[in-house]
Amino acid sequence: MPPAASRFDMTDPAVAVRGLTKTFPVPFHRQSIVAVRDLDLRVESGEVYGLLGPNGSGKSTTLKIILGLVSPTRGRTEIFGRDSRLVESREAVGFLPENPYFYKYLTGEETLRFFGRLCGLGGALLKSRINELLNLVGLTKARKRRLGTYSKGMLQRIGLAQALIHDPKLVVLDEPTAGVDPAGSREIRDLILDLRRRGITVLLSSHLLAQAQEICDRVGILADGVLVREGRLQELIAIENQSELVIADASPPLIDEIESLVNRSNAKLIERRKSTTTLERLFLEATKNDQARMTKPE
Amino acid sequence: MKTGHSAFSLRRINAITVNTLTELTRLKVFYFLLVFAVLLIGSSMFMAQLTFQQEFQILKDVSLGAMSIFTSLLAIVATARLIPQDIEDRTVYTILAKPVPRFEYVLGKIAGVLLLLAIGTVVMSAVFFLVLYAREQTLLHVTMRQTAAAPREQVEEALRAVRASAFDIDIVPGIVIIYLKACLLAALTLFVSTFATTNIFTIVVMAFIYFIGHLQAIAREYWLQTHSSALVTRIFLAIVALLFPDLQAFNLVDDIVAGTAISLGLFFKTAVLGVFYTTIYTLLAAFVFYGKEL
Repeated sequence: MPPAASRFDMTDPAVAVRGLTKTFPVPFHRQSIVAVRDLDLRVESGEVYGLLGPNGSGKSTTLKIILGLVSPTRGRTEIFGRDSRLVESREAVGFLPENPYFYKYLTGEETLRFFGRLCGLGGALLKSRINELLNLVGLTKARKRRLGTYSKGMLQRIGLAQALIHDPKLVVLDEPTAGVDPAGSREIRDLILDLRRRGITVLLSSHLLAQAQEICDRVGILADGVLVREGRLQELIAIENQSELVIADASPPLIDEIESLVNRSNAKLIERRKSTTTLERLFLEATKNDQARMTKPE
Repeated sequence: MKTGHSAFSLRRINAITVNTLTELTRLKVFYFLLVFAVLLIGSSMFMAQLTFQQEFQILKDVSLGAMSIFTSLLAIVATARLIPQDIEDRTVYTILAKPVPRFEYVLGKIAGVLLLLAIGTVVMSAVFFLVLYAREQTLLHVTMRQTAAAPREQVEEALRAVRASAFDIDIVPGIVIIYLKACLLAALTLFVSTFATTNIFTIVVMAFIYFIGHLQAIAREYWLQTHSSALVTRIFLAIVALLFPDLQAFNLVDDIVAGTAISLGLFFKTAVLGVFYTTIYTLLAAFVFYGKEL
């Protein structure tokens, strides 16, 4: 049997959404709610695409339609050229839902075995895949623990592992870091970047913009079910007529000289300030040191 | 990775079945019902201080009746929550986002319940037969003691009478029919749960169906006797019979207790009816779930 990836045409976009509209009828009312309106979207193979938007903007509905969990009112969605309503299109997809809840009575290992079997895996192949993924998400030591005892971050990581169990070429993540602490969130971010390095396409939805900015190649912004912006992240957020210089170990006279050089030209200096770290980095560093002190022997 | 997709996969169904069975065996209600049934069967041997014929009759009546009620209750309570719970917990998204057809998901779920019911029925039957055997042995000893001075033929006759009152081969098909009735109720509950909004709604609807199902045969007879038996009436009654299965048809306990032999024809007719209803309701559940927006 050929590998899953080879049965999909990788020259096709990973996800193609054309003229997608989804309406939900309101009980006892004539009008219906429009969740997504005339959406056109294209996620290229190998990129990390962020679908951004506030709560209720239609992100999750769009993802569910792409995964065949909800049927579109109008329009068409494809995964590597295949109609996403077809069950076989899901062979190329791994999905992590928002706040995933797995069977609490299963251990980490049993959970992966269950999802692996659903994907048609078995025997030594499944066993080695489970070991590989538990290692990838850092849960090897917790493999025999029931999911009922897992922390939120661990659940997200086992969720990511089950999404990857059949080696999909596209991973769909719905709010992958929702409710996870900064350290767990950073781990998931690193895992997503690792997926990109492996050539796996990632489509994620989020309303955590700082995180999306760190990992996405392209983004689309949804508002009230309409795609209001789309493009390469750097192009979207760049300010055309402004530039930044970040200089290390510069003496005050050197900075003054640069400033006067700018003032003598037609350009205008907008702001002069010390570089700062991010609050996330500060938090991670502080809690890391704290952790080290706690584990240090007397 | 070799994961070629097939339209129908026993491995996928088996994975869902095993998981459903694991989930259900963790339900406290299952243990509660099982322990309660076991207690009832066990205690029934102390209830009768009558003649041995009456004692065995009561033992069979109470045990088979308890098995019928508990398997039916277990079928409804265990099945009602399966799909709604998966939807509420979003586990259904993770499962159906894999290459799993929706009908396989439904098949896996119902197969898990049927397996659970089979285990429950086998355990209860085993306890029942053990109690029956233990009482038979006790009564044989008592009879031998009481007839020690009697002629050999009389002793043999007395022992034969005890054995004949104890185990009756018709108990086995009776238990099979009890199991099939529970399967039917499980499939019907699964069907109702595919469009119900809450577990309570499913259980209440099933309670109604259970009572209507037991009473509809009497109502049908009355209707046909007092009203015309025209084609329209018959079609109407057939529709009612499809919506509300005739559960009284699965009640062979009274015949077994009374010592009336169950004919092979009656057994097969009832068994086929049970399998037919279970299949129809499972297909209906799969059909409704196929079009469900998750």
